[in-house]
Amino acid sequence: MDKKKRTRFLIVIAIILAALLVGVFLTADPLKEEEPIRIVMKDAVLHEEAQVNFLGIRPVNPAVISAYTVTAIIFVFALFTRLFVIPKFKHNPGRFQLLCEQAVGLFDGLATSNSPHRHNFLGAYVFTAGTYIFIGTMFELLGVMAPTTAGGHIALPAPLADINGAISMGVFSYCVILSGGIAGNKVKGVLNTLKDFSLPISMSFRLFGALLSGALVTELVYYYITTSFVIPVFVAVMFTMLHALIQAYVLTMLTALFYGEVSETHTEASSEEQ
Amino acid sequence: MPLNIDWQQILLHMFNLVLLFGILYVLLYKPVHDFMEKREKEYEKRDADTKNALSDAEKLKAEYEAKIAEAEKENALVRAEISAKAEADRERIISDAHESAAKIVEDAGEKARMEHDRLMARARTEIAEYASKAAEKIVMKEGSLTDDFDTFFESVKDQKDNGNG
Repeated sequence: MDKKKRTRFLIVIAIILAALLVGVFLTADPLKEEEPIRIVMKDAVLHEEAQVNFLGIRPVNPAVISAYTVTAIIFVFALFTRLFVIPKFKHNPGRFQLLCEQAVGLFDGLATSNSPHRHNFLGAYVFTAGTYIFIGTMFELLGVMAPTTAGGHIALPAPLADINGAISMGVFSYCVILSGGIAGNKVKGVLNTLKDFSLPISMSFRLFGALLSGALVTELVYYYITTSFVIPVFVAVMFTMLHALIQAYVLTMLTALFYGEVSETHTEASSEEQ
Repeated sequence: MPLNIDWQQILLHMFNLVLLFGILYVLLYKPVHDFMEKREKEYEKRDADTKNALSDAEKLKAEYEAKIAEAEKENALVRAEISAKAEADRERIISDAHESAAKIVEDAGEKARMEHDRLMARARTEIAEYASKAAEKIVMKEGSLTDDFDTFFESVKDQKDNGNG
């Protein structure tokens, strides 16, 4: 592209952008009552107003819909992989096979290193939890819209950016740890697990806080029209992609660590050594 | 409930999690894990087989080396035996040759002596004959005695030269 053509191309792009900006400001409805920022933020945290109907049974937080949508997406992907990809696995893996093997190997390795004595179930669980947290958080970026019971629309958030979703994840992880304690040490294992009674609360609220912070900052950025350009790209990367990775790692790591601790069988000899 | 905590929604989320766990375990985690485990075992088996084959090869090598050493030892013994026997044979052949040579020399000496004796006897006979003839000639013709003696001595000399030659 020579200099003249490039200049012409840049001018056309600038004109299109200017026209779109003018359109954005001109199409704003002056009669529409703007929701105050305080209510927007409160609703993003609590979802008291913007609720979505769940299969016609009852209104629920949009995160419940997100959770089932994510599960459906994962189910379709897993089914496709199981039926068409896994039977064609080779000893020298291709790119997709390598990705699948890396994902399974990563979580299996995490379970094996933290709980070498009992890790089969733990490996499967941390794989599920890691996949769910990562894909669930990334799902927020798709901006899938759902109709609210109030008649409006809402972009579906990450399933774990909802307090109920985060609590269920934390409690479920705690139950997995408890099952490891029972399998490894019977009553003593239960007592060891119950000793860390704050664990489900800390895991739940860590997840909730981390993922909600991303949602709140994104909400804040989109609330003001002046910050709605360019900035969301960086915000989305910072608060969604990084949280997806970090939180998936943190929760699976903690679960594997505590599982390994409570399920480890203590013999008398090892107790004396300690 | 504070913070809009709803037990029913928590249970809905948990149901979803259990469902997801089942889906991922059955459809993705277990088949991929089993495949990886099977491949790992296969490679471990190959590794073990290779190590066994290597160990067998090492054993065979050691066996063959021992056999080679033994064969070399035997070879050295056989060579030493052959060498000793050859030396003895050589000594015997040389000794036999010496004996044969001595016998040949002795036989040749004996033969030469006999020839010498025979020639001497013959010469004596011839001398006697010539002496007899000379005496006869002297008696018959005294004038040619000197010539006859000369002829006689020349013929004796010729005979002597011929006999030595």
